[in-house]
Amino acid sequence: MTGTAARLLPVAVVIAALAPLYVALVGSLTPDARLFQSVPLVPTPLVWDHYRALFGTRGFWVPLGNSLVVAVATTLLALLLGAPCAYALARLRFRGRAIVLALVLAVSMLPQISVVPPLFLFLRELGLIDTHAGLVLPYLTFAMPLTIWFLVTVFRQVPLEIEEAAMMDGASRLVAFRRIVLPLAAPGLATTALLTFLFSWNEFLFALTFTLGPERHTVPVAIALFRGQYQVPWGEVLAAALVATLPVALVVLVAQRRLVSGLTAGGVKG
Amino acid sequence: MRGLLPLLLLALSACARPSAAPALTLATSAVGREGALVQAQLARFEAAHPGLRVELRSTPDEADTRHQLFVHWLNAHASEPDVLQLDVIWTPEFAAAGWILPLDRFEPEAGAFLPAAVEANTWRGQLFALPWFVDVGMLYWRTDLAARPPDDLATLAAEAAQPGPPSGFVWQGARYEGLVTVFLEHLGGFGGRILDDGGRVVVDREPAVRALEYMRDSIHVQRAVPADVLSWQEEHARFAFQNGSARFMRNWPYAVPLLSDPAQSKVAGRFGVAPMPAAPGGTSTAALGGSQLAINARSDQPELAYALIQFLVAPAQMIERAQVAGQYPSRPSLYDDAAIRAALAIPAVEARAIVERAVARPATPVYSELSSILQVHLHRALTRQAEPRAALGTAAVEMRALLSRSGLDAEGGW
Amino acid sequence: MTRGRAFTALRRAEARAAWGFMAPALGAMALVAAGPIAWTAWESVHLHDLRMPWLDRPFVGLDNYREALATPRLIAAAGHTAVFAILTVTLEVVAGLGLALVLHHRRRARGVVRAAALLPWALPTVVVALLWRFAFEGPASVANMTLASLNLADQPVAWLSGAVTAWVPIVLADAWRMTPFVALLILAGLQQIDPALHEAARLDGASPWRAFCAITLPLVAPALLVAALFRALDAVRVFDLVYVLTGGGPGAATEPLSLYAFDALMRHLRFGYGSAISMGVFVASFAGALVWIRLMGQRALVREEA
Repeated sequence: MTGTAARLLPVAVVIAALAPLYVALVGSLTPDARLFQSVPLVPTPLVWDHYRALFGTRGFWVPLGNSLVVAVATTLLALLLGAPCAYALARLRFRGRAIVLALVLAVSMLPQISVVPPLFLFLRELGLIDTHAGLVLPYLTFAMPLTIWFLVTVFRQVPLEIEEAAMMDGASRLVAFRRIVLPLAAPGLATTALLTFLFSWNEFLFALTFTLGPERHTVPVAIALFRGQYQVPWGEVLAAALVATLPVALVVLVAQRRLVSGLTAGGVKG
Repeated sequence: MRGLLPLLLLALSACARPSAAPALTLATSAVGREGALVQAQLARFEAAHPGLRVELRSTPDEADTRHQLFVHWLNAHASEPDVLQLDVIWTPEFAAAGWILPLDRFEPEAGAFLPAAVEANTWRGQLFALPWFVDVGMLYWRTDLAARPPDDLATLAAEAAQPGPPSGFVWQGARYEGLVTVFLEHLGGFGGRILDDGGRVVVDREPAVRALEYMRDSIHVQRAVPADVLSWQEEHARFAFQNGSARFMRNWPYAVPLLSDPAQSKVAGRFGVAPMPAAPGGTSTAALGGSQLAINARSDQPELAYALIQFLVAPAQMIERAQVAGQYPSRPSLYDDAAIRAALAIPAVEARAIVERAVARPATPVYSELSSILQVHLHRALTRQAEPRAALGTAAVEMRALLSRSGLDAEGGW
Repeated sequence: MTRGRAFTALRRAEARAAWGFMAPALGAMALVAAGPIAWTAWESVHLHDLRMPWLDRPFVGLDNYREALATPRLIAAAGHTAVFAILTVTLEVVAGLGLALVLHHRRRARGVVRAAALLPWALPTVVVALLWRFAFEGPASVANMTLASLNLADQPVAWLSGAVTAWVPIVLADAWRMTPFVALLILAGLQQIDPALHEAARLDGASPWRAFCAITLPLVAPALLVAALFRALDAVRVFDLVYVLTGGGPGAATEPLSLYAFDALMRHLRFGYGSAISMGVFVASFAGALVWIRLMGQRALVREEA
């Protein structure tokens, strides 16, 4: 590996990673009629029409709201159910722990399509098709193992001594968990929450299957189905894609260091 | 943390669908000019029926998604929406499943509508929906580049291959329902059909093979059709034609008002519309599209629902629709109306002739699957993954298997 | 003796507490994962067509599986899934390894690259697919303009209408999204290697290439394997990317298994038949997951037990 190449490679990686997003940005600021000719390197003149249309006639607030509600609810529910489980797996000694861990891992590798038919019939029976709850429930299939797997690592890093001291003083497991471990693990909990939020925000197949009308579509579904009866409004599609990217980019910027160490340690998702 | 769960459940239940029932619901596409038009017409209907409220339930634009939504609503035996806007090809499926009401008890004036459209909405002898507007495939040509439209398909390809605009003849070749309609028009042009009168699959016969070979060769041999059309839907073709970069286009009537608008169209005043040409021995064919209005079988108020349908398909509303959205009336008699003549941008006699000759796609409850088979194999042949004869042969085998599996084949009857 | 009994009691109390702690999570996973899988298996041996309620839901044994195996489109879809998995995994692991090696030696670049690498990975797949479809759609697409400006093509390529060319944006999109991430996984593996080993090799006069082959590669192999298996498992269930980028076309030339299953399920509402195909996807990835757990998981689990 020559020195110059090695020096330039990181720069090339950054450019390669960002170039498609830049092209999208330019495209979203270019009038539709020009889009089918060629996309200029720098948009002239800048046209904000696509963004205006997106939040005006398209009502992009609706899918944004849906995604936010579903992703936040999924994250909270997964943390609520998953944190005690992860704590038990990280701290308590009992037979069958390896099997539970393997099960959690197996669930995390479940192909979504293989649970679509029963979940559809199940949600239909409960009258939950096309509701927010009808998305949060299926989202637990990936949110639960993700949260548990991540939090096991987090809880293991909490110093054992403080917890043991508390229990010596007569605190029960539950109290020690709630009063001592959870506060100490707060940064890890936050990272886990961000990651679960990210996955829920991005999910497509379940949202496509279990919502029906535009009033309930999440952001990815709304973008994918964005067309008039005869149209592919590329300008608006690209604008919407960038808007959908914003929260994701924020999460990455805020939590990149923790995300990487967590992901590489837990190796949760490829 | 303990207080979180009730809070969460509360938040979730607050998000559930509101259940307040409006007086009457209409599920239709509600965007753009069409949406505004429907709103205005509904306001008039409400004014004529004091105390009655009509709620518009907007549906996804994409036909497959809307189909899925309707199937879910009806399959769940919901009583709303009361009135549904159906694609011309869905009526038999919904009728066979018992999801929509036969209209015969309301004694509809079926004779006033286009016979082909009425037939497409008839299942086992009963009428299930009234045609709201009709769509027909037409040939758009450039009046500044030729004196008259081509007479037959060979001339069309030859003229399209001439130098001039970068693209010759553009149509809808993506793998979706639109491709089936374009194929149907070429197929008729060569004298072929998809199913015969007895419901047998004949799409692997000689005329069909020649039609598909013609379509493929016009792309890859004569280069009269740009290969890009293989991923194009209606609007891509419209953009190309509107920018002046195509000599001919196959499209629905909706494009006429848009192409005539000098603010966005480079071909305003320089294009004409003609019937799709045919090959010797075939017939000029237009695929029949359009929307129908039907009543949910579980509707609590079928009489009111029918009153709404009757209002929407009345001549006054149809004329207004033609003027605003360029969509053709489904009542042949309206083509003599002065207002329609002004709205259509082509001679009303010609328009009427195209509409009356329009060919419907097969009326079967398994149409969506039948079409999906055909789409894949047509697209395979057009992208040169298979020879037309082999592609149509495989498609026919699969279509026959589908029909016999569903108990819908010609021999078994239904 | 009493001490032993007290110890056993303590252990028992701890186990009870553990199951109590885990009960809600395990219940939730049974409800949304284990239960549904069993239900899918049950559906797959029944004739169940939501469009034809009058047919009811009769037991048909393995008919759905038989029909699937006799359908060329399904066999093709299985082939596409395999090809996609092999292509993307190879590309991403090889490129990822290269990238990781460079980053390993250039500490300062890591921070920037990490952010840039995570962004594509964190994007909604739908957005990734749209970006790449936009770049390859139409005669004046970014891809065609780039080729033309490099004098590599005199005719614009209709990428999405070619049975082979349509794979280019799909594979590139996946590689764009995942390579940097795979590199980060491998980098974590590289950082575990004791630098003294390389030092020793250098003192022994080994060439860098020999050192790479003899030390780096064997030691980073487990990390490579994890990355490859993760990616393969992901590739087997690919759906979003293809759904948005090509819709499985042209023809059905890029249609993977999940897309074909989705078509049967949600477009044609054939729940029995669609479930049979879904089971196929499940079995394929479950086999992969078992391999994963045997190879890597066991090690991780053993570490947990210790």
